[in-house]
Amino acid sequence: MRRGWFVTAGAFLVLFAGTIYLSSKLPLLDALGPGPGFFPLILALLGAVLAVAMIVQLVREPEAPTGAPDPAAEAFMPDGGAMFRMIGIVVLLAAAFAVLDPLGYRLTALFFITLMLLVLGVRNYLAIGLVALALSFGVFHSFYYWLKVPLPIGEFGL
Amino acid sequence: MFDTLQYLMAGFAAAMTPTNLMFAFIGCFLGTLIGVLPGIGPAAGTAILIPLTFQLDATGAIIMLSAIYYGAMYGGTITSVLINVPGEAASVITCLDGHAMAKKGRAGAALGIAAIGSFIGGLVATVLLVVVATPLSRLALSFGPPEFFALMIVGLVLVTSLAGNSLIAGVLMTVTGLLISLIGLDPVRGAPRFTFGIPELFDGFGFIPVVMGLFGVGEILATAEKPYREVIKTSLSGLIPSRDEWRRSMGAIWRGTGIGFFLGLIPGVGAIIPTFMSYIIEKRLSKHPEQFGTGVIEGVAGPETANNSYANGAMVPLLTLGIPSSPTIAVLMGAFIINGLTPGPLLFQERPDLVWAVIASFFIGNVLLLILNLPLVGLWAKILEIPYQYICAGTLLFCMIGAYSINQSIFDLWVMLGCGVIGYLLRKLNFPLAPLVLGLILGPQIEKSMRTSLEMSAGDFSIFVTRPLSACLLALSVAILVFAAMQLAPKEIRDPNAD
Repeated sequence: MRRGWFVTAGAFLVLFAGTIYLSSKLPLLDALGPGPGFFPLILALLGAVLAVAMIVQLVREPEAPTGAPDPAAEAFMPDGGAMFRMIGIVVLLAAAFAVLDPLGYRLTALFFITLMLLVLGVRNYLAIGLVALALSFGVFHSFYYWLKVPLPIGEFGL
Repeated sequence: MFDTLQYLMAGFAAAMTPTNLMFAFIGCFLGTLIGVLPGIGPAAGTAILIPLTFQLDATGAIIMLSAIYYGAMYGGTITSVLINVPGEAASVITCLDGHAMAKKGRAGAALGIAAIGSFIGGLVATVLLVVVATPLSRLALSFGPPEFFALMIVGLVLVTSLAGNSLIAGVLMTVTGLLISLIGLDPVRGAPRFTFGIPELFDGFGFIPVVMGLFGVGEILATAEKPYREVIKTSLSGLIPSRDEWRRSMGAIWRGTGIGFFLGLIPGVGAIIPTFMSYIIEKRLSKHPEQFGTGVIEGVAGPETANNSYANGAMVPLLTLGIPSSPTIAVLMGAFIINGLTPGPLLFQERPDLVWAVIASFFIGNVLLLILNLPLVGLWAKILEIPYQYICAGTLLFCMIGAYSINQSIFDLWVMLGCGVIGYLLRKLNFPLAPLVLGLILGPQIEKSMRTSLEMSAGDFSIFVTRPLSACLLALSVAILVFAAMQLAPKEIRDPNAD
C-alpha cells in the first residue's frame, strides 16, 4: 500500500509538472486580464506542492518493522482468481471497443457477453447463449427502434 | 409565497400528465433496481440511464432522471438489509442494524420502516425545498461573478475536507478534477488547451464517460475481486412494524428528516454524513445504546429517513445555486446541461414551468416509491438472487451503450475504460473520488467566474475580498480548510479502515 501511495504521488507530480510546462506556453495574461494559461498554471502549481507534501509525509512516516507482515499490502493485491477476472474484464472491454465500429453493436455485444460470462466463471452454456442473445439483439431492438438511441451498425449490417 | 403556490400548482398539473407520471414511475422503478443491484451505485446508474431520456422533452427527462436518483437512494437499503452489502454508500450504516434484524427474521419490518421513513423524510424535505427555493434563488440572482466564484470554492472545499481521511489526497483529487475540466477550448477566449492536436479533445473529456468509468467500471472491478454474498432467506411478510417498533421509530424518523434536509443544503456534505450523524444521534439518545448493532429499529429508521431527506434537500443547492452536492447530483446537473438547461437561479426565471414540474414530481415520486417498495419488496429480494456474473456483464454492456450514445464516440468508450482502471486503483488506495467529479463539473464555471471577476477589476485580485459576501465566503473556505487540517493532521494518510 505504501509503495502504491508513493507511485501515485509520483505520478501526480509528473502530471502536474507536465501541466506547469504546457500552461507556461499558453498566454498567462492578456489585455482583458488572465489568459488561458493562468488558471491551469495556478492549479498545477498547487497540485505539485501537494504531491511533494504527500511524498514528504510518506517518507517521514514510520515503516513497518522488518519481517512483519503488512496486512494493508496483502489486501491491496487481489488473489489469482480475482486478478484473472479483473484483467479479463479490462481486456474484453478494450477488445469490444476496438471492434464496435466494424462489427456493429449486435455482434460485438454477442461475443462480449458470451466471453465475459465465461471469464466470470459461468458454465451454464444455455443460459450464456440466451443472455447473450437478449443483451445483444434484444437490447439493440429496444434501444435503437423504441428508444431511438443511436448504436453502431457494422459492416455486416448488424 | 402566493406566487410559489401558483407555480407549484402549475408544476403539479404538468407532473401529473400521464406521460410524466409514467416517466416518474419508470424512474422510481429503475432507480430502485439500480440501488438493489450490487456493484452499481446511483452516480453510475443515473449516468448509464441518460440515453433512455434522449427522446423525451426536457421536463420528462429531468423528472425521470431525478426519480432514478431518489429511487436508487432507497434501493440500496434492500441489499444492506438482506445481504449486508450496501447498494450505495449512504446505506452503509443500515447494514449494522438492518442486517441484524434480518438475521432475527425481522427483515420485513426493517424494509417497511425504511420505506415509510424514506417517504416521510422525502415528503417533508420536498415541502421545505418549496419553501426555501424561491427566496434562495432570488438571493442568488443578486450574486455577481466574484460571489459565484467564492460560493463554488466553498462547495469544493467542503467536498474536499469531508470526502476522505487525508486532506492532501482530497485537495489533490479536486485539483486533478479541475485540471481535467480545463482540457479543450478555453471558455473565454476559445483557445485550445492540452488538446495535443486530437480533435476529440477539443470538446474536453465528456463528464458522463468519466463518471461511468470511475463509478461504474471502477466499482465492477472492485466488486469482481470480492466473494459473492448469499441472500438471507427470511420472511418478508411482516412489512408493517409492530406497535412498539412504531413508537421507537417515530422520533428517529423526524430527527432523520431534519438532519438529512439541513445537511443536504450544504454543498459537498454527501449522502453518507447525514446517515452516520442520524445513527450517532439515535445511539446517543437511546436508553440502551449498547443494543445498537444488534438489530435495533431506530438504527434503520433514522439513517434511512435522513438518506431520502438528504436526497431531496440536496436538490436545493443544485436548483437554486447550480452547485451539485454529490457525484450523483453532478450527473443530474450534466443531464440538465445535455438538455440545454443550466441549473441555477436563472432557471427559475427562464423555465419556471420545468423547475416547478420537477419539484412537484418529487412529491409524486415519493408516493410512487412507497407504493413500489412495500408491495414489491419480494420482487427486489428475488432480483438479488440473480447471480452476480450476469449483473456484472449486463452493467458493463449498459455502461458501453451509455458512454457511446451521448456523442456516438468510440473515444468516449476509451475514456470510460481508462477512468475505470484509474478509479479502481484510486479506490483501492483510499483516494476520494467525489472531489474529482465535482472539480470536473464545476471547473469551467469556476474558471469563468474567476476570469470574469478579474476582467471586471482589470486584473485586481482584491475584488474577491473587497465585496463583503465574496470575502465572507472565502474566509469560510479558509476556516473549513484549517479546521479540516487540524482534524486530520494526527491521522496517518493511509488508513484502510478510515472510510
